[in-house]
Amino acid sequence: MRHVPPLLIRAAAIGVAVATLSVATACGSGGGDDNARGGSAGGGGFDPAKCQGGTLSVLNQKDITHLDPARLYTSGGGNIPSLLFRTLTTRNRAGGAAGAKVVPDLATNTGVASDDAKTWTYTLRDNLKFSDGSKITSKDVKYGIERSFAPELPGGAPYLRDWLAGAANYQGVYKDPAGIKAIETPDDKTIVFHLRKPEGDFPFLATATQFAPVPKAKDTGVKYENKPVSSGPYQVESYQKNKKLVLTRNPHWSRSVDKNRLACPERVEVTSGLDAAVINQRIFTGAGKDANAVTTDTDLGPSELARLGNDPELDKRVAKGHFPFLYYIAFNPKQKPFDDPKVRQAISYAVSRTSVINAVGGTALADPATTFLPAQKSMGYQKYDYFPAGKAGDPAKAKQLLAQAGHPNGLTVPLTYVSDSKDGTGPGAATAIQDALKKAGITVKPQGLETDAFYEQTGDPKKEPGMMLFGWGADWPSGFPFLQPIFDGRQIPPQGNYNLAQYDDPKVNAEFDEIAKITDPAQAAKRYGQLDAQLGKQALTVPLYTTKDLVMYGKNVKNAFVSDWTGRYDVTMLSVK
Amino acid sequence: MTGYLLRRLAGALVVLLVLSAVVYTIFYLTPGNPALLACGKGCTPDHLKVVEAQMGVDQPIWVQYWHFLQGLLAGRDFSAGPTVDHCPAPCLGYSFQTDEPVLALLFDRLPVTLSLTLGSLVIWLVVGVAAGVVSALRRGRTADRLVTVTTLAGMSAPTFLVGILLLMLVCAYLRWLPFPSYVPLHEDPAAWATNLVLPWVTLAIVQAAVYTRITRTSILETLAEDHIRTGRAYGLTERSIVGRHALRSALTPLVTLVALDLGALLGGAAITESVFGLPGLGQLLVDSVRVVDLPVVVGLTLLSGFFIVLANAVADLLYAVADPRVSLGEDRLGRRGA
Repeated sequence: MRHVPPLLIRAAAIGVAVATLSVATACGSGGGDDNARGGSAGGGGFDPAKCQGGTLSVLNQKDITHLDPARLYTSGGGNIPSLLFRTLTTRNRAGGAAGAKVVPDLATNTGVASDDAKTWTYTLRDNLKFSDGSKITSKDVKYGIERSFAPELPGGAPYLRDWLAGAANYQGVYKDPAGIKAIETPDDKTIVFHLRKPEGDFPFLATATQFAPVPKAKDTGVKYENKPVSSGPYQVESYQKNKKLVLTRNPHWSRSVDKNRLACPERVEVTSGLDAAVINQRIFTGAGKDANAVTTDTDLGPSELARLGNDPELDKRVAKGHFPFLYYIAFNPKQKPFDDPKVRQAISYAVSRTSVINAVGGTALADPATTFLPAQKSMGYQKYDYFPAGKAGDPAKAKQLLAQAGHPNGLTVPLTYVSDSKDGTGPGAATAIQDALKKAGITVKPQGLETDAFYEQTGDPKKEPGMMLFGWGADWPSGFPFLQPIFDGRQIPPQGNYNLAQYDDPKVNAEFDEIAKITDPAQAAKRYGQLDAQLGKQALTVPLYTTKDLVMYGKNVKNAFVSDWTGRYDVTMLSVK
Repeated sequence: MTGYLLRRLAGALVVLLVLSAVVYTIFYLTPGNPALLACGKGCTPDHLKVVEAQMGVDQPIWVQYWHFLQGLLAGRDFSAGPTVDHCPAPCLGYSFQTDEPVLALLFDRLPVTLSLTLGSLVIWLVVGVAAGVVSALRRGRTADRLVTVTTLAGMSAPTFLVGILLLMLVCAYLRWLPFPSYVPLHEDPAAWATNLVLPWVTLAIVQAAVYTRITRTSILETLAEDHIRTGRAYGLTERSIVGRHALRSALTPLVTLVALDLGALLGGAAITESVFGLPGLGQLLVDSVRVVDLPVVVGLTLLSGFFIVLANAVADLLYAVADPRVSLGEDRLGRRGA
């Protein structure tokens, strides 16, 4: 669960992942969803059987945070890690809503749950090999997970420390080679996880790179990322951090052992440290090698969108999708006047979502939101709008509520935001809110803080401001990582807190535990949707908008589609031939 | 001369030591915990403590600084997981962000920044001095006015704007050059130069404008001096007056300026490197400050400080060459020359 400096999350797209969809299905024609299959710009259809060859060029602003599977987290890897690391499960590599499903990767299924979803068992497929030719066993997966606990290798997804039985204080495999008892490997193909509480979302977590196998004999600790042993379709030819990563084929990988990835290009070259405007311009222009270029961390902005309208040829080279991400106003009801629900409701009525969306680039980049969960089936979305502000806000209704709350002459409130952000947590959105609230007699005193200071202050329950602009994205497309960090009262640490309402209702906490026992994602989604609809009545947040993702790809690039899991096209499925 | 150099060296060491202490203090006092960043999201307080201990940032500032000095003079050991890594002296530590040795990181980035800086230096000096001379000799005429307006525009133009505009024009619209990506000189000199032309020009446009202005003023001042009038009275040709006398005197302030600019730029022409995606020291600095990568920031500051000190010393030496009135020896009263 993460909060999400939006920049990070966009650079993201879980670098992990995997999928069941067969190559034939994944690349079949049609599907009825425009997002599901990206275009094949440059003419000619896309044929997975003939797509192999060429060099894919990836132009990025930032480098992968780490090329070590123990240290990668959703925000830090883009899609690139999924070219190198296979995991027990992975994301379904398809566009739109179909891409929000979890599917098996190294394992034969997404996991067999027992003991109320407290025990999860996986069986590995046959003939799995590392890039050095050695066999991948369940012990390699266990070792990969155990080394991710080492303080020498910080930064990975935090869930396992909380979820695995008795792992909270485990110091990693270098200090404690005995390993974690809660992970058993009765034979080379079986791995069993014992959790301290039911976790129906475990198959989603098993897409994280911490679940990638690492051969103990090749582990070089912090230096492992210089030349990681690959279990995916490519291996590292050369790596200069923050400069260039060159990947070539893993001779021990084939489509016969991996039904999820197409891995069409012979070679992948990732260049980082580029300016966002330059990246988009290079892909637009498509000169020379740039015809084969894509980016895994740069969205199109308002200025580029203006060009698209005038150039239908460019418009065809844009993949569109939705990463589940919400921008919202967060209240701290421990502070006056936000302790009064009527004040929070008045602000909910007063906001103008149209103004906010215009401030961040317009309707091409954002959809108005009135629910906390983004409008995606996988998240459990249920429509509601308890404080209908319409497009431009309802200042009259807001004034009425303020009068009822004892503020007939209006009131003055602070609004804390990220001063160096360009999106919904930044000055543009803050000004739009300030204007809208003014019409309802509410004077907003803006308090801009730089990113670090903002998260330090908002994450400390004792220093938390009264009203903040915030953004939240999900590590995987389920209601759990979207709702639980924000509304579970047991999730209020002294630092890095995201439950900004400091909301702690035993009944809601218990409902989180109950839903965690459900192993069917569709069933769980339904319950999360109901929970969201119930929480929304309390006006603990004011949802503002969800994001749309538009990413450009080069002239020669084919099969570019965007899934609801990542909001980016999947580099494992791209072709340049 | 030797005494002078030794004194400069000792002074430089003191400056660098103070600089490193100041950077440590600033980073210690500024909000932002590198361990929190490394620990990642969802980091529990207990886990944070373990990571802080691993990174050594849980120690008081003087202990951290003492370890830094120890590494510099005698080398240090770092835990690298299954093994222990010895970082030999002079050890600037390992990057918090990438776990690379800082010294290696700096040497890896230095050629890029050197290529960028020295290449653009040649352009801005040639263009700046030539335009300055022309402008001074054509004072008040059309050429002078043209140069004045152009330099004003050049000086006012933000580097990122010039860079992006050049990229759009030359690479995207005219397609005369590929979008730059750094190629090391020893790998392919032609590709090295082709890829650096635009960054050179971008950096040179802003700098050349300043140099034009200074050359112009300096030459005009010199031309008004007595010795020039005397020269003219002796019947020296205008070419000799300008080339041999006026320009040489005018070069003295330029030498100082070149030294200061070069020192500062070697510390990182951050914006130009960012716009063109050149993996140089400037880009490294921007990345490192953003993620509170203290060892890299300290290393970069020391390197930058070293260049500035070095450039100043070289400038002092060049003074003597450019201007015969300057001497580095000690005069009979024991005072050092200017």
